[in-house]
Amino acid sequence: MRKFVKPLVALTVVVGLAVAQAQEPVYGGEAVIAITAAPPGWDPSASTSQEIPRVVYGNVYEGLVIFDRDGSIVPALATDWETSEDGLTWTFSVRDGVKFHDGSDLQLSDIVARFERARDPESGHTNHAYYAAITEVSADEDANTVTFTLSEPRASLLFDLARGDSVIYPAALQESQASQPIGTGPFTFADYIEGSEVRLERFDDYWNAELPYLDSAVFRIMSDSNSRFAALQSGDIDVIGVALAPEQYMQLASNPELQGTEGTATTEITVAMNNTREPFDNLLVRQAITHAIDKEAIVQGAFFGLGTIIGSHMSPAEPYYIDLSDTYAYDPERARELLAEAGYADGLTFSFELPEPYNIERRTGEVIAQQLAQVGITAELSVVEWTTWINRILLGGDYDMTIIGHSEPRDINVYGNPDYYYHYDNERVRELLAEAESAATTEESFAAFQEVARIIAEDAVNVWVFSTPYLVAARADIHGFWTDQPTPSINVTEVFRAP
Amino acid sequence: MLAYVTRRTISALVSLVLASVLVFSALLAIPGDPAEVLLGMDANPVTRAAVRAQLGLDVPPLQRFGQWFTSAARGDLGESLAYSRPVSELVWERLSVSVPLTVAAALLACIIAVPLGVLAAVSRRSYVDPLVTGLAQVGAAIPSFWLGLMLIVWFAVDLRWLPSGGFVPWDRDWVGTVRSLVLPVIALGLGQAAVMTRMTRAVMIENLSADYVRTARAKGVHETGVVMKHALRNALVTLVTVFGLSLSNVFIGSIIIEQVFSLPGLGRLALSSIGNRDFPLVQGVVLIYAGAIILLSFLVDLSYGFLDPRIRYS
Repeated sequence: MRKFVKPLVALTVVVGLAVAQAQEPVYGGEAVIAITAAPPGWDPSASTSQEIPRVVYGNVYEGLVIFDRDGSIVPALATDWETSEDGLTWTFSVRDGVKFHDGSDLQLSDIVARFERARDPESGHTNHAYYAAITEVSADEDANTVTFTLSEPRASLLFDLARGDSVIYPAALQESQASQPIGTGPFTFADYIEGSEVRLERFDDYWNAELPYLDSAVFRIMSDSNSRFAALQSGDIDVIGVALAPEQYMQLASNPELQGTEGTATTEITVAMNNTREPFDNLLVRQAITHAIDKEAIVQGAFFGLGTIIGSHMSPAEPYYIDLSDTYAYDPERARELLAEAGYADGLTFSFELPEPYNIERRTGEVIAQQLAQVGITAELSVVEWTTWINRILLGGDYDMTIIGHSEPRDINVYGNPDYYYHYDNERVRELLAEAESAATTEESFAAFQEVARIIAEDAVNVWVFSTPYLVAARADIHGFWTDQPTPSINVTEVFRAP
Repeated sequence: MLAYVTRRTISALVSLVLASVLVFSALLAIPGDPAEVLLGMDANPVTRAAVRAQLGLDVPPLQRFGQWFTSAARGDLGESLAYSRPVSELVWERLSVSVPLTVAAALLACIIAVPLGVLAAVSRRSYVDPLVTGLAQVGAAIPSFWLGLMLIVWFAVDLRWLPSGGFVPWDRDWVGTVRSLVLPVIALGLGQAAVMTRMTRAVMIENLSADYVRTARAKGVHETGVVMKHALRNALVTLVTVFGLSLSNVFIGSIIIEQVFSLPGLGRLALSSIGNRDFPLVQGVVLIYAGAIILLSFLVDLSYGFLDPRIRYS
């Protein structure tokens, strides 16, 4: 039997009056947490909106396994699991006595039905590809186990089973999850005032009798960044766990009533280039562009030094992270030489599209356009509405240069898809990604990911500028919230209030 | 009168139909569809096609509009694609925020603007007029979102008298509802009051220099009577017209104010439904906005008859 529990190095800096030492948890009370937008329904397998898991993942819903605060994968509805020698059979022992929030018992058939649906590309399940290698899901009532049979080994199976897409809810209540989530998590979805706030209440029949600590948690939808911060200062809300502006984070230290933490997230701010379109089809041009961008100046100047400079498509929050930020480091002279070599000694002009409403990307893009101008490159800035961005740039691949934060964990596999909007096609990368997919151990697949990261960095496919930190601001009496964001989730299972 | 009302009703219906055709064409012209928004960055084409079919987007646009139109004509606005709930239900919930907000802000604006405007007009030779005019100038120049933030900082963060945002539904705790609307109403109403004060002042000055005012004064009517009974009464027809028109600004302004105060109103629903390309919901919201503005101008027209008995409808 193999267990995959990989603790991450959590870079957590605590400022303000936060008490870093372990404090005795206190039961009871309520915490009010700001989120930024109303999601389209609450079923994490019906939409990829990150607002959904932010509220319900780990709080309301759980899978067989689940991500912990450090990114490790820990048992939830499964107590343990084993794989066959050939890696094609995975058997999960299911926890006894688990109840759904509607009072019914968790049945093995609920689990089987969820993955049968996930496997079916026509069911409307968001990410059927994660489950495509599964050929059969079967239950053994006597042993209380569920077995997955795969067509080929898949090192990332456990990771995929921990994703928000894989949470378990009653098979009979599939349709109503969008409006009334019923899960097995520590909190019940008690009330939703459409567009305004969600109220979660302690689930007394939770399988872990010691959790949660809070009686209730309220997630309030607040779309304006300044209003969120004012509400935190006034005590109307207790936690801002998403989209905290760096300048707001910097203000926390001066207020003894507030605390802030800086941790890691899986977002890479990426300047994407259309690799088949002139002039980006020329490696020299892509190298020159990378050399022309001063990432340090961006992070220091526009983000108060909050963020980690990266050199490939991975953030320090990934377990396979390696630092490649030296690849084609900032060197405007070299950039000019490369441009001249590529035949653009007289300069170069293309369009650079910034997505609305993403402030970090827009701010970064504006600085980059100025830096490119220093070496004779004219990047003509324009702003694109988000839905148009998805349609024309992401799905249509029709653009010169754009910028976006890629926040899916382990999403380096997109470089194996020549149809993805970078239009990057490299046979070796595709082979390595296939190896990573079918590797028997995570170590092997991580080694393959690292090799891919090196190759795409050498090929200067895109410019990976920096990895955004996960910033949290909270009232000083709030403890136990997640300080890193290995997956989008404002997990309040272990949050408690104590002065 | 009846013929007039009938005619206006028909023209209102035609406007509503035109508005929905316009909005539908605009939604067709901009890229993106709800399935793409729901499924995000990495969905595969089969799933996207399946979701498109589930949402009824595989039907040709013209037919889709036809389906929507026939059921809308029967009073059924359909179901939101993103929220999977009836549009009428969503809009109704949001109206319980937006209607009190806009009506109260408009009332506040009138209560401030009319007395101040009249006061400024009658005291043109003292410091009062420049003071009021100056204040109105500043008030009109301050963006409502900034004023909203300042109100939050003063009354929610520093004094902690009122909530910084959010909304308590009426049926749960109406005192809480009123408290959550106080700051947004002030933020929305003050800017409008500033504009209306300037209008009132201008219209009053014009009327105060009219011949009939001189006649009234010559007859020995007391100055208060001149201002209130003669000048203001005559100014009302003009004022109601401009106020009515500027109320549509309050509707538009409420979209921003709802954002600043995290109110679940119609404006925020409109913004998110456009972002989601949620066609039935956008149509529903636009019908409400268009209907409200048509109704408003209709009421303004009707009010002329009461304000000025010389006006007859035929």
